[in-house]
Amino acid sequence: MAPRRLPGLLRRLSIPLLTLAVPLGFAWWAFPSELAPLRAAGIVAGWLGGGLLMVSLLLMLREPRLADWLGGLERMYRWHHTTGVLAYVLLLIHPLALAANGLATSPSFAWQTLSAFDGGWPVWTGWLGLVVLMVGLATAFSKKLSYGVWRWLHAGLAIGVLLGLIHLVLLGIDEPVLPIIAVVALIVGWRALRGDLGLAARPYIVAEVQPLTEQSVEIALRPLGQPLNVTPGQFLLVAFYRGPNYRGCGEFHPFTVSSVEHGDVLRIAVKALGDCTRQMLTMPRGVAARIIGGFDSVFAHHRAAPQLWVAGGIGITPFIGLLRAGPVPAPTTLLYLYRHEADAAFLDELKACAAADRRLTLQLEATGDALPDLKRLLPQAGQLIGVECYLCGPPGLIKGARSVLRRRGVTARQLHSEKYEFR
Amino acid sequence: MMQRLFLTSTAVFWLAVLGFWIGSLSAPIAQPPAAPSVADRSISTAELAQHATPQSCWMAINGAVYDITGYLPDHPSRPQIIEVWCGKEASDAYATKTRGRPHSHEADQLLPKYRIGRFAP
Repeated sequence: MAPRRLPGLLRRLSIPLLTLAVPLGFAWWAFPSELAPLRAAGIVAGWLGGGLLMVSLLLMLREPRLADWLGGLERMYRWHHTTGVLAYVLLLIHPLALAANGLATSPSFAWQTLSAFDGGWPVWTGWLGLVVLMVGLATAFSKKLSYGVWRWLHAGLAIGVLLGLIHLVLLGIDEPVLPIIAVVALIVGWRALRGDLGLAARPYIVAEVQPLTEQSVEIALRPLGQPLNVTPGQFLLVAFYRGPNYRGCGEFHPFTVSSVEHGDVLRIAVKALGDCTRQMLTMPRGVAARIIGGFDSVFAHHRAAPQLWVAGGIGITPFIGLLRAGPVPAPTTLLYLYRHEADAAFLDELKACAAADRRLTLQLEATGDALPDLKRLLPQAGQLIGVECYLCGPPGLIKGARSVLRRRGVTARQLHSEKYEFR
Repeated sequence: MMQRLFLTSTAVFWLAVLGFWIGSLSAPIAQPPAAPSVADRSISTAELAQHATPQSCWMAINGAVYDITGYLPDHPSRPQIIEVWCGKEASDAYATKTRGRPHSHEADQLLPKYRIGRFAP
């Protein structure tokens, strides 16, 4: 049975409301009365930052039902980043405002308020927490780190949160800090146990691996127990473990479902983008896998209106999933962008689909190493009236295509995209 | 955009920290002000008890009486924690902050500014 969905407006407002309610609730709860304005501002900034950090932690959970309530996992991750950085900025303001309050007494008193060297452990833990957040966020923005290293460094941000909580305890403030610590421990533990160690995942086994291109394969996964209730186009978090002459990296990575056979065998398309996914190109049958999902689909609000599908590289997967499920419901143009024909997954199958379905128009574009000329490739404004646009591919392509389509009169409600970016 | 916000805020933060440090070097450490002429006035327990509100808050600490009414808004803890000691002998509370931890060196430096007399219980 499909989980009950929240109404659309509530889903859209869920994260913004949470982002406002938790920090403002903290600030209201701990609002300092009768203090000097700068001191009060410093304390409020600290509590607002702490509240936003809690929201950011909550948004890193990988629970399909929670993701559905909050408008999708990709949206949760976007807000996780935003709330995390905003929390960091407020936590930077916190000690500066407290120190600025000391300027009324003297500059040296202001420095003594700020300096960890004069403040003992309550101040030291605050400073250490802030520095850990600083270093952790700096690495979080790094594109050069491998995913495995990046993941561990990003998880290290939890140490910053822990130090911040110890800072609160050592300060001896009279707000009850223990419930906050309990909630943080629950969220971090929940994510670690269910999301990273895979307690929320279902066991599957690799039934078949078919090469698509030199750098991509399609993997069929058979359930070893109760199958997941997923549809083509949704994405899953899949981790591969041991098998005959194979040892997977055991990390959960996002993959899109290309088809569901007999209601239980799932197929996912995998492109080698890093060490872990490159290893999957040579995966044999019989490898153990665990799957969490299904999460968002670019087709979550699919309507039977004329459509434009834009796929970049492995972003073709949700579209092939839909085409395998049957003929397109309305006139549809599929613009498929890839570097070279040899890199294009599912090319022959797509050509066969277009030949069999006269409502499907296939527009193939080998871009080589140059950026695609989207202004030339995308339909003109007159051809986009009433057209629903679905975009899947690398972030740069999505950003460029959205920009061109919006300038040509496509409304935000007509645009549906999936970016494949989970860092 | 988030990356830019992170980099900008981090740079501004460290510049501000640097500014506070340079400011503290350029200004001499505030010396405890000379005790006012009334500093040796004897203040009894009864007179101390008459100043037990945030609007007029005197405390006896280590044999001296301090009028900290003007300092209350700047005190780091929530007002309820310190205000209960207005009008009372608060040496132990000052020494332990009621949690076994002494006040900081800068608090010791600040206190003489508010001295108004000797405590004569």
